[in-house]
Order: sequence, then C-alpha cells, then structure tokens
Amino acid sequence: MLRTEINELLTQTGPGTRMGDLFRRYWMPALLAEELPDDDCAPVRVKILSERLVAFRDSQGRYGLVDEFCAHRGVSLWFGRNEDSGLRCAYHGWKYDYTGQCVEVPSEPETGNFAANVKLRSYPLVKVGDVLWTYLGDPEHQPPLPEWEFVRVPGEQTYTSKRWQECNWLQALEGGIDSSHVTFLHSGNLNTDPLFKGSKGNEYNKNDVKPFFEVAENEGGLLIGARRNAEEGHYYWRVTPWVMPNFTMVPPRGDHPVHGHFWVPIDDENCWVYTFDYHPVRALTTAEVDAMKAGLGVHNENIPGTYRPVANKDNDYLMDRDAQRRGEMYSGIKGIAIQDSSLQESMGPIVDRTKERLVATDAGIIKARQRLRKAALALAEQGTPPPGLAPEHQRIRSASIVLPADQSMLDGVRDAVVARPGVAQTTV
Amino acid sequence: MPKVVYVDTAGVERVVDAAVGESAMSAAVRNGIPGIIGECGGNVSCGTCHVWVREEFRAGVGAPGDMEDDLLDLGVDDRRAGSRLACQIPLTTELDGIVLDVPPEQV
Repeated sequence: MLRTEINELLTQTGPGTRMGDLFRRYWMPALLAEELPDDDCAPVRVKILSERLVAFRDSQGRYGLVDEFCAHRGVSLWFGRNEDSGLRCAYHGWKYDYTGQCVEVPSEPETGNFAANVKLRSYPLVKVGDVLWTYLGDPEHQPPLPEWEFVRVPGEQTYTSKRWQECNWLQALEGGIDSSHVTFLHSGNLNTDPLFKGSKGNEYNKNDVKPFFEVAENEGGLLIGARRNAEEGHYYWRVTPWVMPNFTMVPPRGDHPVHGHFWVPIDDENCWVYTFDYHPVRALTTAEVDAMKAGLGVHNENIPGTYRPVANKDNDYLMDRDAQRRGEMYSGIKGIAIQDSSLQESMGPIVDRTKERLVATDAGIIKARQRLRKAALALAEQGTPPPGLAPEHQRIRSASIVLPADQSMLDGVRDAVVARPGVAQTTV
Repeated sequence: MPKVVYVDTAGVERVVDAAVGESAMSAAVRNGIPGIIGECGGNVSCGTCHVWVREEFRAGVGAPGDMEDDLLDLGVDDRRAGSRLACQIPLTTELDGIVLDVPPEQV
C-alpha cells in the first residue's frame, strides 16, 4: 500500500513537481540517434517530463532541442523547414538556431534587432553512444555526461531500441525491479528465445521456482538479488541493479549480451522504454542484432516509421489464447517487452497504489519507492543532489553468479556489479 | 505467557494471552482483534498491522528495522512516535502487559 500523496509525489514529473525537479538533475535519453540521422533531416517532436519540444540536427551537425512552439503565435515548429543552420517556422518564416535563439524574422526591418530579443526555451542534446541525451535542469547543476556502459562500449558491441508505453513511468520501472514475475510471465521465453536459451542459469531458474529475494542498498540505488538453489552448498544469484531514478538491468544468461532499460517519463500517463543490449568485450553477432531488430529478447517490433509497438492496447496486444492454453506463452502474449507492457498498461495510466497488496517479493519495489521519495524530499527541502549522478554510480552491471551458501550476496558480487572496460560480464 | 492489550479508537481494551516468541500481529489475528490485518503474513511488506506502542513500552520494544521503517513512511496514514508494525514485535515475558493502540483506518 502506498498513501495517495506519496503516489502523487512519485508519479508526477512535470515542471514544478518534486519528482520532476529530481528528474531534471539527470541526463535522460531524449531520442535514439537514428531519429536524427542526417544534417538538415526532418525535425522530431519530443515530449519528455511533460514538456513539448522539437529536436533537429542543423546543417553543421549540431543537435538542437527547443520549445516545440514558435514564439510568434504558437505554431508547432515540427512543420518547420530545417535549412541553412536553423529551423524556420512554416507560418511566417521565423528562424531559430540550435540553441533556440531566433536569428531571423523576415517581416521586420533588417536594421532592427527584433530577432535578437527572441529566444526559445532550449536544452542541450548530446550524442553518447546510440542515444541522444538531454538535461532539462538548471545549467549550474548539469552533471558530467552519462557513463553507462551500454553507450560507452564501441558501437559494434551495443544495440538500443525504444518503444512507447502507455502508462506512468513508475509502474513500468517497478516491473524492471520486480524480478519475481519472470518465473511466471516470461517462463515461456527462456527456452526458446535465441537471446536467452542455452545457459546453465536457466536450469537453476527452472529447478527452483520460489526464489528468495534480498535487497541491498548501494550508493546509486539498489541491488536486488534473487537467490535460487544450485549445487549442494551453493546458491545461484541473479542480481538486478537499479540506479536512481529510472535505470535497471537484467541479470545476464550465459554469454548472451546483457540487457537493461531506461524508463523515461513522456508525461504522467506515458513513458518511453529505451531497451539496450550490449556485450562488454565482443561485437554483437549479425544473428544477435537481427534477432534484436526482429523484436526478440527484451526488444519488440514497432509499427514501421513509429516507436509504437505493433502489439498494443488497441489490438489487445495480439493475445493468443491457444498459445496461452498450450503453455507456450504464459500470458498468451508474444515477446517479453509486450508481456510486460500489456500488464503494466492494464493497471491504468497511473495505478492506484492505495489498493495494492504487496508481498515479500516486492521488497525491491518498496525500497525503490522509499529511495525516490527521500531523494525528492531532500532535494526539495535541502537542495541535496540525488544519488545516481556520479559517474561511478553509473558504471554498474547486472550479474549472475553461483556463490557458496555461506557467502553474502553483497560480498559475492562486489566486483561483478562494477562495469570494468575490457572485462566480461559475470554470468552463468 | 505475556498478555497483550489492544486498544481501539473507542477506548475498548481487548486482552490476549500470547505465546513467547509470537508476534503481536499473530497474537492479534489469532484472536480476531479488529484492525490488525496482517495481510502479508508477517513478511514486512504490506503495512496492515500498524499499531502505536504506548510510551512506557517503547524502550522494551526497540526501534523499527530498516524495511519496517520504509513501510511506516510509505504506507500508514498516521505515523507517530511509537508507530510499529505488530508483525515485527516478538512478544517476551518482559513485554507482559504491553499496550498497543490500533489506528482507526485499519478497523
């Protein structure tokens, strides 16, 4: 159960909200780099943290992220002409550069300085890896650029996709923290999906369906461990890191690429799910990348030209009752990503957490909510910078490992959960 | 056998004989004390066994644990000094006669 006022505190991220102010301390994924592939390409609408913006790449390759609406009479600049190092409004030809500075108002005398006094709200937009990152906060608190391993490894070792999810960011994130559901909802995929199958860990998963969960605090967030029986005197641990506020990783399986998510609020009732897969020490194979592009693993298939899943709430996620009955797919819905989104969206745009009934396996969710709440209040009341900003908090990995029964999770995975360039992931 | 006194918002006292080592949640549920639900069965995850420990017993009961502290922050309507989850209060002979006020919202 969560009190109404705390549910509101955690789920509202628009300008001027406490959680919105917290999010505005971090670099967030705003677009995939593929969305702005060329200089002077078409601009893209971006809604993030309830702010409506437009992104463009100018003639010199500079990225701009500015208020979507022209300062003149509020027309959307998405209709604009991206040309000659600026975005020109389609209505009366007002032109803005990548910083949002108005550089030309054709109707005004050239001798005046009308344009110089017009500037759109704008934010930095920086390419790191395959993602364009933005920072929506106060410039004086801008942190160093993202250090996440999935955007720091060479390009051939990493792949990122994204999809629109039609619910609040927090219930989507909570799915990433709750590894208890994997035993049920995703049980059909472990044996068949080319990006999961064939690991020793899958055997432990199958042989012990009642894992014990342990949650440990670390500086940037939490480590959530699922412990299953392994060989005599040993446990198999799957360790999921959550880094404040909205980054999670899935524990690896065999030598398959490691994956994870960013759960980015679009507004209070929608979020972008950025889904990445990378291998710390080798290039992804063609077969792996093809599988990811086909929507396997934790990725999904989108409607061409959009980031909306083909299977979505308008078509009941292409529910297949026969496959559900046959046990091929636990919920009858294809693919891990859509298995998750279908259920998370079914909770409603913002789930009423006063009515939930949590159990012991929800400890990670309780801890994460508390960390978020405390960080948002500390920022609002004392100006305390939240956890997860420091580069070392972002140099993190998930891990799967067999440990002696008498060794604690934290002791056993201390090194394994640190991203170390050139060192392979710790995996079973 | 430690006795536990549960007091509802109308001031009605209900006295229960508990076993040593049993939790104050379990003793309440076993005896049908209104307002103590214990939905998660004592796993510190639901927050439905909130009680206010009377001041004179607080030292004997001690402070809430980490997870309990989070749940008291997040889930209960009226956290006060003395707020505890009854599932995390193991009863001992030293706590004989402990008085626990049951908050109104759980009744």
